[in-house]
Amino acid sequence: MDEYDVVVIGAGPGGYPAAIRAAQRGARTVIIEREAWGGTCLNWGCIPTKAMIAAGETAWAARHGAALGIRAEGLTVDYAALCRHKDATVNRLGAGVRSLLKANGVEQIVGEASFVSHGRLQVQAPGGSRWLAARKVIVATGSESAMPSLIPSAPSVVESRGFLARTALPPRLLVLGGGYIGCELAGLAAMLGSEVTLVELLDDILLLLDPDVRTEVRRSMERHLNIRVVTGCRAERVDAGEAGVRLAAGGESFEADLLLVATGRRPVTRGLAAERIGLAPDEKGFLRVDGRNRTAVPGVYAIGDVNGGPQLAHAATSQGLIAADDALGHRTPPNETLVPGVIFTHPEVALVGVTETSAREQGRSIRVARFPYAALGRAVAGGVAEGFVKWIADPDGRLVGAAAVGARATDLISEAALAIRAELTADEVGRTIHPHPTFGEIWMEAAHVLAGHPVHVPPSRKSAG
Amino acid sequence: MPHAVAMPKPGQFTEECTILKWHKREGDPVAKGDILFEIETDKANMEVESFYEGTLLKIVVSEGGTVPVQATVAWIGQPGEAIPAAPPPPLAPPAAPIPPPPAAPAPAGPVVPAAPPMPAPAPVAPALAPAASAPATTAAPARLRISPRARRRAREAVIDPAPILGSGPGGRILERDVMAYLAAQGYDRLRISPAAKDLARREGVDILRLRGSGEAGRILIEDVRRAIAERPRPMSRMRQVIAQRLTQSFTTTPHFFVTVSADLTDLLKHRRRLKELGEPYTVTDFIAMAVVLALREFPDFNARTDGRQVWTFSKVHLGLAVSLDSGLVVPVIRNADDLSLRELHDTAAALVEKARAGKLTPDEMTGGTFTISNMGMLDVENFTAIINPGEGAILAVASTQETPVARGGTVEVRSMMKMTLSADHRLVDGAAAARFINAIRKRLEDPAVWRAWA
Ligand SMILES: Cc1cc2nc3c(=O)[nH]c(=O)nc-3n(C[C@H](O)[C@H](O)[C@H](O)COP(=O)(O)OP(=O)(O)OC[C@H]3O[C@@H](n4cnc5c(N)ncnc54)[C@H](O)[C@@H]3O)c2cc1C
Repeated sequence: MDEYDVVVIGAGPGGYPAAIRAAQRGARTVIIEREAWGGTCLNWGCIPTKAMIAAGETAWAARHGAALGIRAEGLTVDYAALCRHKDATVNRLGAGVRSLLKANGVEQIVGEASFVSHGRLQVQAPGGSRWLAARKVIVATGSESAMPSLIPSAPSVVESRGFLARTALPPRLLVLGGGYIGCELAGLAAMLGSEVTLVELLDDILLLLDPDVRTEVRRSMERHLNIRVVTGCRAERVDAGEAGVRLAAGGESFEADLLLVATGRRPVTRGLAAERIGLAPDEKGFLRVDGRNRTAVPGVYAIGDVNGGPQLAHAATSQGLIAADDALGHRTPPNETLVPGVIFTHPEVALVGVTETSAREQGRSIRVARFPYAALGRAVAGGVAEGFVKWIADPDGRLVGAAAVGARATDLISEAALAIRAELTADEVGRTIHPHPTFGEIWMEAAHVLAGHPVHVPPSRKSAG
Repeated sequence: MPHAVAMPKPGQFTEECTILKWHKREGDPVAKGDILFEIETDKANMEVESFYEGTLLKIVVSEGGTVPVQATVAWIGQPGEAIPAAPPPPLAPPAAPIPPPPAAPAPAGPVVPAAPPMPAPAPVAPALAPAASAPATTAAPARLRISPRARRRAREAVIDPAPILGSGPGGRILERDVMAYLAAQGYDRLRISPAAKDLARREGVDILRLRGSGEAGRILIEDVRRAIAERPRPMSRMRQVIAQRLTQSFTTTPHFFVTVSADLTDLLKHRRRLKELGEPYTVTDFIAMAVVLALREFPDFNARTDGRQVWTFSKVHLGLAVSLDSGLVVPVIRNADDLSLRELHDTAAALVEKARAGKLTPDEMTGGTFTISNMGMLDVENFTAIINPGEGAILAVASTQETPVARGGTVEVRSMMKMTLSADHRLVDGAAAARFINAIRKRLEDPAVWRAWA
């Protein structure tokens, strides 16, 4: 039986960086993956969706380039070619993961890992089983789509992974669930030419966002992408066949060629036999951890989607590095608490830190300053003048939160995250010279608004809350 | 009558200024609007004009002197006019917030006055209360001798200049001292987030005293917040008075303590019965009655001493310690020895209610001769109390607890209550204290006694 210092289960964005860090710390490390290197993120999540959204954005920009003098009559989308690009991207990055693991001396095993006893693991692979001894185990088994019980299984019903695996775009797409995955996929289908209806049970889509931000996204989805967004609407019945699907919800009947269910994800612990080491998932199936990702069982860590944290790839990665360090006795600060969120809708959305809504719920007093893309030279020049950013600050000017909705919002948010984490004041961001004309200037402009002396919007437009 | 020339207050937050130069000399005539002198503040230098006309009679603060704003720096009047015997300019901040302890007891005659000379403890007169916060919060240490430039440097660096050794005249801290201090303290290596520094500056937190919890010891806003939360807070006026009086008593009176357990089983039954009859009494009422009667028997415990003389009081003015959120007050039942149980109950109830409402007058809180402190409702087995200044003893009453007790050769569960007498050993000895507290106990245990009360 082979003995390892660190065994990592699952090679998603949590697991593989953890393995690399452990190996770099000099530990004998093995990583076990049962399906695809890079996990959900690389194979069925972040990366393939972004490949397709890139195509959607390109098509949409071409169709709506008239104002910039671009006319693209008779534009068509070669979905098969797009899928080839997506698959090539996934393959290339997956190979990259493998070669990085190899370069760092991490042993890779394809198979399904389960606990046998404390410090003992079994790996079932097509070629037979293996047993391993592990001093430390990092569980990074991720999550998978959860299907509500009323959804029948049929070819015309998919979740996100099934949707990405399809080789043709449905003429009419029905999306159930207005979370970020539902909204992203609804948007990309609409941009590529589908007629899309989105049905959400709650009163609005993207409820983690402040109302002003999500209103901006919803308006764009409805007006620009012609998506029909139906909220506050409970799905009652789904009839699905080979060719099409009918959804009865809120007294209405929706018909489409394909139903995409995006109503949530659940952690993957099936097959792990965690109970053999006394590791019990909580009532929602998560493996609960402390601030350094230690489970209740000594020497066993859980990172990423499986531990009930923010369910974002970059959070999984950050936790993985911390877990590996902690497992190997390197002093490490606890998990970062400032986790930016990005949503690749049209327009993009991003947020970090405190939201106005959460501040209000906590009874915390804040100041808010917005700056519109419409007042940003670069955005107007690029024909993307919709949206805004906002800073949320303590009454004394310390930046505590930010949100952006508009072109490149997902790239813009990093500056805000850095400023907040470094405890910069609005004044300093306002004094930092930002190159002109760029989208990045918008944080500086918004900081000026916060300070009460904006240059590029009339002072009366200053908003405080 | 000559006019006092005051140091102006050039800025809202300026506390003191230095006189750089006098433009007039003593004896010079002064017209309204003449430049009298030049001052330096932490921010700027400025010239000060005269509001008065006359002769500069006297310069009180000479060049280089630093005084608080509003301090008298000179006198202007008619030649030959006498200058009022003004106190020297206040170089120290206003007097400490705690008033001096009350004067030593007046040498009372042999006949005990109705109100003993020493006020009862914690005389939290309503009149004192409003004065509370203002002076206490700015409990500044003795004024620092520091040049305005040095002070500005310290402020910019967000440090407290107090520990800096001054190299100027009279140990005055100069700018170069601040710079040397910063270098010696490794100020350059200090890492602090901008927001944390901002907050520290606003709140007057010395960043050299902070430990950073961020990467590589970087000081974060959280660290500053912690320092702010852990800053010493001034005690409320009421607690300051309590602190001062109790310290005085505890450190100057040799206390000794005697504890007994009283069996209240029968008394509690009796009390319940009275309650059912519509006559509610508290346990304290009965204890008070027992104490008053025992004091009559043992007048030595209704007395006080200063170590040379003994004052024995002929009346019992019974203090009842009442705990409030803000501190302890002790209302006094006057002439308790003249009162029936009913009257004791009513008087005590009225005083306690007033105490809770914060409406006791100073009169109602002074002049006690003996005090009872009852923590019975707080579930304690036993405790000792500090004798109130001006008295000779205090009785600490603990909770009544169901206790197995040996009685007549068997074990019974009885309602036992511990009481501890604190007595001034200069006044009385242990044997007397034992007899006295047992006299209280017996009265509480004897149905024949309290049946006669109610
Ligand atoms: C459609 C979609 C879009 C997304 N877009 C984004 C985005 O834009 N940005 C973002 O931050 N996040 C995005 N996410 C979320 C992101 O994919 C996850 O947060 C992230 O993948 C979690 O990483 P992980 O390492 O915890 O788990 P996963 O990525 O789920 O990896 C777990 C791996 O463990 C393997 N495994 C499980 N059990 C075993 C076992 N017993 N033995 C061996 N191997 C096992 C699985 O095969 C899998 O490869 C998206 C998700 C979806 C579904």
